[in-house]
Amino acid sequence: MGGGGFGAVRAVARAELRTGWRALLLMALVFGLVGGIATGAIALAERTATAYPRLVEAVALDDARVLVAADQPQLAAAVPSLPGVAEVRTDQAWIAQIDGPALRFVSIGAPTTQHDDLVRPVVVAGRMPAREAPDEVLLSESIAADSGLGVGSRITLRMLTLQQVSMFDVGFGPPAGPTTQVTVVGIGRMPTWGGALAAVQAGPAFAAKFLPDIVGYAIYARFAPEPDAAQRFGAAFARTAAVVDQISPSVVAQYVPHSVELPGAAVDPAVRAAEQVLVGGLVVFVIVLGLGGLQVLGQSLLRHHSARRATQRVESALGMDVVERTAARVLAAAGAGVVAGIVGGAVILAAGWLEPLGSQARFEPAPGFRPQWELVIIGGLGIGVVFLMTVAVTAAVAGRAQQPTVTRPRPGGTRLLRRWPAALLGTRLALHGRVGRRGLPAGTTAVAASLAIAGVVAAVALGASLERLVDTPARYGQGADMTIVDAREADVGRLVADPRVAALDVGASGTATLADGTPIETTSREVRKGSLPVALAGGRLPVGHDEVAVGPRAASTLGVNVGDTLDIRRVHGGTSTLRIVGVAVLTSQNNGAVGDGLLVAPTVMRELVPGQPLFDAAVVAAPGAADALYAELAQNLEVFPRQVPDAVRNLGDLVTLPEILALVLAVVAGAGMVHALLTAGRRHAREVAVLSVLGATPGQVRSTLAVMAAATVVPALVVGVPLGLGAARVLWWQLATATGVAGDLAVPWRLLLVVVPAVLAGALLLSLAPAKRAARTPPAVALAGG
Amino acid sequence: MYDATTREVVAPVPDESVAAAATPDPAPPELVVRGLRKTYEAETAPVRALRGVDLTVGRGEFVALMGPSGSGKSTLLHLLAGLDRADEGSVSIAGIRTEELSATRLARLRRRHVGLVFQFFHLIDHMSALENVALAALVAGAKPAEATERARDLLDTLGLLEKAGESPANLSGGQRQRVAIARALANRPTLLLADEPTGALDSDGAAEVHDLFTRMHRVGQTILMVTHSADVAAGAQRIVRMRDGVLLGEIATTGEQR
Repeated sequence: MGGGGFGAVRAVARAELRTGWRALLLMALVFGLVGGIATGAIALAERTATAYPRLVEAVALDDARVLVAADQPQLAAAVPSLPGVAEVRTDQAWIAQIDGPALRFVSIGAPTTQHDDLVRPVVVAGRMPAREAPDEVLLSESIAADSGLGVGSRITLRMLTLQQVSMFDVGFGPPAGPTTQVTVVGIGRMPTWGGALAAVQAGPAFAAKFLPDIVGYAIYARFAPEPDAAQRFGAAFARTAAVVDQISPSVVAQYVPHSVELPGAAVDPAVRAAEQVLVGGLVVFVIVLGLGGLQVLGQSLLRHHSARRATQRVESALGMDVVERTAARVLAAAGAGVVAGIVGGAVILAAGWLEPLGSQARFEPAPGFRPQWELVIIGGLGIGVVFLMTVAVTAAVAGRAQQPTVTRPRPGGTRLLRRWPAALLGTRLALHGRVGRRGLPAGTTAVAASLAIAGVVAAVALGASLERLVDTPARYGQGADMTIVDAREADVGRLVADPRVAALDVGASGTATLADGTPIETTSREVRKGSLPVALAGGRLPVGHDEVAVGPRAASTLGVNVGDTLDIRRVHGGTSTLRIVGVAVLTSQNNGAVGDGLLVAPTVMRELVPGQPLFDAAVVAAPGAADALYAELAQNLEVFPRQVPDAVRNLGDLVTLPEILALVLAVVAGAGMVHALLTAGRRHAREVAVLSVLGATPGQVRSTLAVMAAATVVPALVVGVPLGLGAARVLWWQLATATGVAGDLAVPWRLLLVVVPAVLAGALLLSLAPAKRAARTPPAVALAGG
Repeated sequence: MYDATTREVVAPVPDESVAAAATPDPAPPELVVRGLRKTYEAETAPVRALRGVDLTVGRGEFVALMGPSGSGKSTLLHLLAGLDRADEGSVSIAGIRTEELSATRLARLRRRHVGLVFQFFHLIDHMSALENVALAALVAGAKPAEATERARDLLDTLGLLEKAGESPANLSGGQRQRVAIARALANRPTLLLADEPTGALDSDGAAEVHDLFTRMHRVGQTILMVTHSADVAAGAQRIVRMRDGVLLGEIATTGEQR
């Protein structure tokens, strides 16, 4: 340290605090809030990214599952003794039709004895069925949501016989097994449902009661801690099943394949993809917000310290070195740093209420408040430390002795600017201010403002595009209000005649094969009534024999676009060359994937897809008739209401991110802009006073400051708006293509038409404050201060 | 003052429009100050900067105002130029009482009648020398071409035309002060007020500026200059001495330096 010592540092810190505590406190509050939101988003990203593995851990997920038909009990009995197995639980299994708002078939599983360590769903509502209660069940969340059931619901289970199960493809009439009424006592959560894991779980009493009517065995196994346990188990099960099949073939063999499910072996790619989209979105949010907040804090503090540069010069003359001067400012800001840390920590703590985003929420093993204390403490400390470090850096930069920059002024602007002294001086002060004289370089302010506005515009445009996607089902290939699975011609004819049906398409789907052998889902749609909305990302729908439309994701994967051709193998030999006439968004009826596959004319379908395609009827109801029509159809047909694909639901859950980002960026950028404009009068007090000395009237001074405000904001708008729209277009195109929907950006023109003049008007209004202050301050005082 | 048509420093012409509006006396002195008082509020005790100043400067006269630091010289100059308001007393410039004028009319009076030169120049760094001078004319309502031409001629007369495009930061102290003087003359003021114009200059620069003031006075420019320099003051017709906010008296000079 220089000669000043700590006493001088404390004295300067007290003086700094006395004159600048309000500004420091305001900056600390804003930075604490922004830092807290950014770190809270990290906490949310962590919770979202870890939801699946935490759920796997919470449920003690089994290693393998097999489904065995009821008429092959010897195979079920052999499983516990197969190599690699350490522990086994064997449940009885039934298939039943449930009565409810819609016709559904579900599988039921119940253990003869309780083995909580192998199937242990997280109960998100209610409780597990009691061991001794044969009339209690737990439902998977998806079945509960799909069927409109909850804890306390009474449902009737009409069970199928094994014989009826074997007739699934040809029809089997009313369920012939026992009928029972059960109460839903819990809703359960597991990493995966389906396959061997029945969506309806009952207790041992249920198993005992309906043991004679089982259609199969669901067997869960945990492997011994051996490296090749899974392989040895799989091979042994296949061998045993083959032997059993020879001795005693099952009547339901086609529905119960002898395959081994390995639920913990690999994460579902859809889960991984959703996780990447959601966590990726959060990471972008954190980076943009964090950098934006840091930039604005840096600029504000630099302005704050630059306005007091003269004080530092005096301190320097008194013998205080840069370390002491900086230390004094850090000491003065210590309280503000603590405030920033506390505010940030509080926001991070509050983020504990946020559930994982999007489809990952269904994997959260501990719904509700989940504080991350380590992040709260580390984040709060980090925010306070970063705040004080920024104070130190900006104080040192502002206090650094600089030689005046020797430059030749640029030509005096346009003739128009020369015509009006306020325009001439105002634009010069706004655009050519230099760090060597007063505070922040004008170029840095302009770049920061442009980036902030670009960030806001990009976030708003992305948010608008996401909202439009979620609010327009046709854009994700769900233009129909409901879809009837396996539609029969008689039902279709009746619906076409029904005045409550506004539009109806009969769809057929199957798998075609590209010339290179790649299988690709192919769909045709036959219009039977009205016009069902289909989203086109480009071109038109195929009508001709040699025409095809591709999904956006398929187009991206195959590297094709409208005007290109596709070679597809024909069922009876040879290939067809189809011309791509459009990019259409369709959702697969098989797996819910959006934007994959091909769309061809119905006549082409038969030539390209072998076997019997799956038929469905997509129905658009007349206005106001959808609910009643669905309720009626669901009584007799397997009909599904409009489903939001997971990929779209994930994006839908991201809608709030750009909105929050836009809001926070607008607040942060706005605060920076307000600070810049409000302090403009003080930073340019000398120049304004000179203008008064030359005889400028108060009106001319006001005009100069107004021009300066406009000249600060207009370039930022001129650059920031198109930059933001361009960035949003690129980001949305990538997001939309990955999701399989149309990549055209929803430009919020109305908002922009309001916001752009509003920002300008706001800047002009803000310039009134420094103008008023300038008018109140005698030029003699301003010149003496300069 | 400076005449652009003849490119000479010539006697100023009163602004008829402003003067007529204020109904001046038939042949008033350029500056009349009566009973001027000014007190600044300070943290410990009020500072009585001016305690009743009376001063008259005739048209075409060159008066030097001398006194120790804190005697109130600069305060007096600022009040005369209308850069601050007095607590009591009156100031009359070209026959116009300034204490009764609104801020806007005071600004118009300043642009027509008063030119100001400061010790530390107060040029605008973001503008070239030419633009600094032209800005004053533009503020007064001159058309751009006229303002530029006037500024160019003034810089030419003061020997700075080759520096017209330079930033003030690139000029020497003497050159900056000459630019400041050109700016003060841009609107042909009837009264030139100078606050220690040589105070921040080296001897060469001070000599340049001193010579310039002498030339201006010779052609009839009314000048009131605050200075610490006896040499500079010696070029004036009268030296008025000031201490503790009051004028102590005045002496006529030999005019050797004129």
